Amino acid sequence: MIPWFFRLSLRHLQVHPGRTLLGILGIALGTAVYLSISLAAASALKSFSAGVSAVAGAAQWRVRSPGAPLPESLFQEVRRHPQVRAAAPVVESVVDLAGPAGGSLLLLGIDPFLEIPFRAYQFQEGEGLDQEALVSFLTEPRRILVSRPLAARLGLKKGDPLPVLVGARRETLTVAGTFSLPGGLYPLEGAVALMDLAHAQELLGRVGQLDYLDLLGTGPQTGDSLARDLPPGMEVVRPGALGRQMEGLVASYRLNLSVLSAIALFVGMFLIYQSVTLSVVRRRREIGLLRTLGMLPRQVLLLFLAEGVVSGIVGGALGLLLGVGLARAALGVMTQTLTSLYTPVEARELVIQAPLLLQAWLLAVAATLAAAWLPALEAARTRVRAVWHREDLEERLESKAGLIALAGLAALGLAGALSLIRIQGGPPLPGFAASFLILLAAALCTPWCARTLGRGAAPLLRRLLGPAGDLGCRYLAGSLSRSAVSVAALAAALGMLIAVAVMIGSFRQTVENWVHRSISGDIFFGPAVFSTAAYDHFLPPEILPRLRQDPEVADIYLYRCVRLPFRDRYVLVIGGSFEVLAKYGGLWFRQGQTDEIMARVGRAGEAPPAAPDGAQGVAVISEPLAETFGYREGDVLELPTPSGVKRLAIAGVFYDYRTDGPSVWMDIRQFRRFWQDEHLNAVRLYLKDKSRLAAFQTRLQETFGRQYRLLTLSHQQLKDGILEIFDQTFALTYALEGVAIVVALFGIITTFLVLILDRERELALLQALGASRRQILGMVLVESGLASLLSFLLGAVSGALLSLLLIFIINKQAFGWTIVFYWTPAIYLQTLALVLVLGLAAGAYPAWRALQPHLAAILKEE
Amino acid sequence: MIRLIGVSKIYRRGEVAVPALRDLHLDIAAGEFVAVTGKSGCGKSTLLHLIGALEPPTAGQVWVEGRELGALSDQELTLFRRDRVGVVFQSFNLLPLLTLEENAALPRVLQGAPYEAARQEARRWLTEVGLEHRLSHKPHQVSGGEMQRAAVARALINGPAVLLADEPTGNLDSAASAQVLEIFARLNRDWGQTVVLVSHAPEAAAYASRLVRLHDGRVAA
Ligand SMILES: Nc1ncnc2c1ncn2[C@@H]1O[C@H](COP(=O)(O)OP(=O)(O)OP(=O)(O)O)[C@@H](O)[C@H]1O
Ligand SMILES: [Mg+2]
Repeated sequence: MIPWFFRLSLRHLQVHPGRTLLGILGIALGTAVYLSISLAAASALKSFSAGVSAVAGAAQWRVRSPGAPLPESLFQEVRRHPQVRAAAPVVESVVDLAGPAGGSLLLLGIDPFLEIPFRAYQFQEGEGLDQEALVSFLTEPRRILVSRPLAARLGLKKGDPLPVLVGARRETLTVAGTFSLPGGLYPLEGAVALMDLAHAQELLGRVGQLDYLDLLGTGPQTGDSLARDLPPGMEVVRPGALGRQMEGLVASYRLNLSVLSAIALFVGMFLIYQSVTLSVVRRRREIGLLRTLGMLPRQVLLLFLAEGVVSGIVGGALGLLLGVGLARAALGVMTQTLTSLYTPVEARELVIQAPLLLQAWLLAVAATLAAAWLPALEAARTRVRAVWHREDLEERLESKAGLIALAGLAALGLAGALSLIRIQGGPPLPGFAASFLILLAAALCTPWCARTLGRGAAPLLRRLLGPAGDLGCRYLAGSLSRSAVSVAALAAALGMLIAVAVMIGSFRQTVENWVHRSISGDIFFGPAVFSTAAYDHFLPPEILPRLRQDPEVADIYLYRCVRLPFRDRYVLVIGGSFEVLAKYGGLWFRQGQTDEIMARVGRAGEAPPAAPDGAQGVAVISEPLAETFGYREGDVLELPTPSGVKRLAIAGVFYDYRTDGPSVWMDIRQFRRFWQDEHLNAVRLYLKDKSRLAAFQTRLQETFGRQYRLLTLSHQQLKDGILEIFDQTFALTYALEGVAIVVALFGIITTFLVLILDRERELALLQALGASRRQILGMVLVESGLASLLSFLLGAVSGALLSLLLIFIINKQAFGWTIVFYWTPAIYLQTLALVLVLGLAAGAYPAWRALQPHLAAILKEE
Repeated sequence: MIRLIGVSKIYRRGEVAVPALRDLHLDIAAGEFVAVTGKSGCGKSTLLHLIGALEPPTAGQVWVEGRELGALSDQELTLFRRDRVGVVFQSFNLLPLLTLEENAALPRVLQGAPYEAARQEARRWLTEVGLEHRLSHKPHQVSGGEMQRAAVARALINGPAVLLADEPTGNLDSAASAQVLEIFARLNRDWGQTVVLVSHAPEAAAYASRLVRLHDGRVAA
């Protein structure tokens, strides 16, 4: 019996396709955004781990020393270990392609004969390697084998030169041939080149050093047994662990985006709720009739639920199509962000994973089911005899508005309670729950607010605008069942917009202050000033003495940075010249005397501290590190270093807003004792005469620019660069916000359209009674203006609360950053203007339509 | 007071032209109570719409109180509808959001009368039609007959030159119908109110002072 009744639904759809389509579009957009984020993140990760496993090949274990090279002598030792069947030494580095296209190239230094059990590099196939090429690869320096995809992409042939940047140096490599990997899987989408181990060590300045050893063992206990026999600072890991660490790295980045995209879906739910409600309201007579003819309440429920769910199914499916398209765009932004934040990631191909599609689609259907539930229930309760009046629903809603608002306050209270929960690591789920509760609270308060505003403003607007003002107010207060929903949807989107804008604005301002306050230096000079992923890019050692002799330079701050796996994350360990830093203001600590802390770290650099608590060094840690792992000032941090695990006294916790991870900062002399290398990644120069900054900068470039590629940034340029990275990081956030707003705007436009079209007859009647066009237009505009204003007010309040939540709870918990709240009134004014203009326009169009002179036709008896 | 000269009304539905009135002549004097009857589709409603300036004629002239409606601007037509005509529909057409009192007061409010004064007058007219006990009810809370009487009060509040009623009793039972028709008759008798009533109920014609039969868009002899 029910299927037959769906014909009715279909008829209605044919008569009023617009509103159903808008609801479907809302869900489609929400789904699309959600899907695109998860697809893009999954594709980026998948490409990354495919690369990792392609390079890992058959290796079962990997020996490495985080943040430091392995001595080459270790290779012979390990190979002779009784539990090791085979071993292959590798040096690896990411070099930059100097060609016009740019990009990164993974350079692997290998021994082709030792590689055989591990990786199926195919050298001989097609126009691959012949005898002569193999000989030249092994014997001549700077000969490389490039992957087939790279050769195809760059049009490289045997004998072609390939200019690259190795750290700071400009070098030209020569293509000796191509190689391919089985399955066509390559790291960095094929941007890989092989080089003979010895030549690679020389090129990278790592003679006698290895990055890792890949091993085949005799059994599952090989790893443990080997780890016991290795010198301190070295570890044995499974090669796949790398991919998982990367996954952890991007997890919180991805989570934030997913939550934001879920909000777009949330707004879409309002639209479905609205479209089903409208359908129920319009068809009340039909429902009454069907009930009279013997349809059961649950059949009515089913009928309307099914209508909602069908929109979910269709909208969800549409969203999948749209989402795949959006994901392509998101993937580009995302890989760029991941590359600038963590490590070079290259993902051109979108990997479309069926489970993710299914997940997004089910989410869409579930969301519509939830959204259709209430109105369908309302329909099912329709009394049999008395044909149900829309006004009954209105009255019921009006009388319950206070109660619903109380529920809203309760939700707000719950949100407050949730935001007080302190979490131990992991994603800030209570905070996210609280933010949804805040939006929900605003939605629940909407009917009451609309009623109160409508009634409250009526006397005033009556005096100002006459009957038009009065009627407009009454309509706002009297059509809660329809208008409240879209006011709520718009308020939710605006709330998010305001919150995110205030959060990003405050964050940006905080970062600016931080750069100003805790990064001193006139010129930042080195191969890797921003790209912290390039830890093995060193300042050529011959440069430092020349800088020291320069008469214009007052002081030089030395900078060295490595990235270590630490628990389940990465941390940056930084060595710096603390005495120089102290002279120019030091770091910005959240507690304690700056001079004292700086001096204590500096002293520990001169000589190991004779501390009673057995600390072997002193360091300061960044706030995110302290927050993530629960350290406080005075605690002891156990840091794995090449010379074993070191116990470091935490002298202070400093504010730090770099996006690439929590950091430990120590005096460079202490760092060198632990790491036993003299490398530098960059220096900061302090000039005697700051007015000569530009001239000095030019001179540096002229002196070194031909031979090396070194960045020479002024403080201002560094700040701009940091803020640029910052903006790039939030680019996707902005985009998601935009989509949520678009969805909500659909909502408000449909509502007003429907609201007014629904009243076409009433408007015609008013005209028949003598209302002038101006009065009608005025009335409609008052209503839509008030509704927009109300959306704005609710959005502003919930947005303010949300921004506090985002800044002080969610961000703090997710990243450990203390963001100073900066109030930005401009965003409120902009939103208000946007909403009023759009709201009025959305009301004016249907009003104008209603004014077309078809009075008699419209008034014709039904 | 009302004079239709050679009036035709042709509705166009795409290619098809449906003539509703053809070359119709009709004079109605002030103080008359005219009942218009005829078969369904003969153009009764159309006639009322033309007199009430809800639609313009396709050809011919409609004069009301010495003014030719076709010569009036849009603005003037609005004022004419507001100030000179009262309309009662078959399906009541009350605004669901407003109480009966507010519904009845609406035309006065639209004229710009002070709110309280308009409600005062509305109360008087509602009392006149016997609804003094239903002032603050919403339309869906009262019976059809009561809704229609409220609609009559609304139509009268401006002191219209002519009261137009299109099958006002079509949705009512005979008792409620009688009440409404009785009101029309009393208005006509006591105040000299001009009434044009469309109805095909024979008993309605009994209240009228004159009967006009339409046939195929013309006045039947
Ligand atoms: N908007 C319109 N478009 C097209 N044709 C119309 C329109 N309004 C009325 N007509 C046609 O004009 C003719 C007269 O219609 P009208 O409504 O005046 O009839 P009526 O006498 O009031 O009938 P009833 O007693 O059934 O109400 C009919 O044939 C009708 O189909
Ligand atoms: Mg009719």
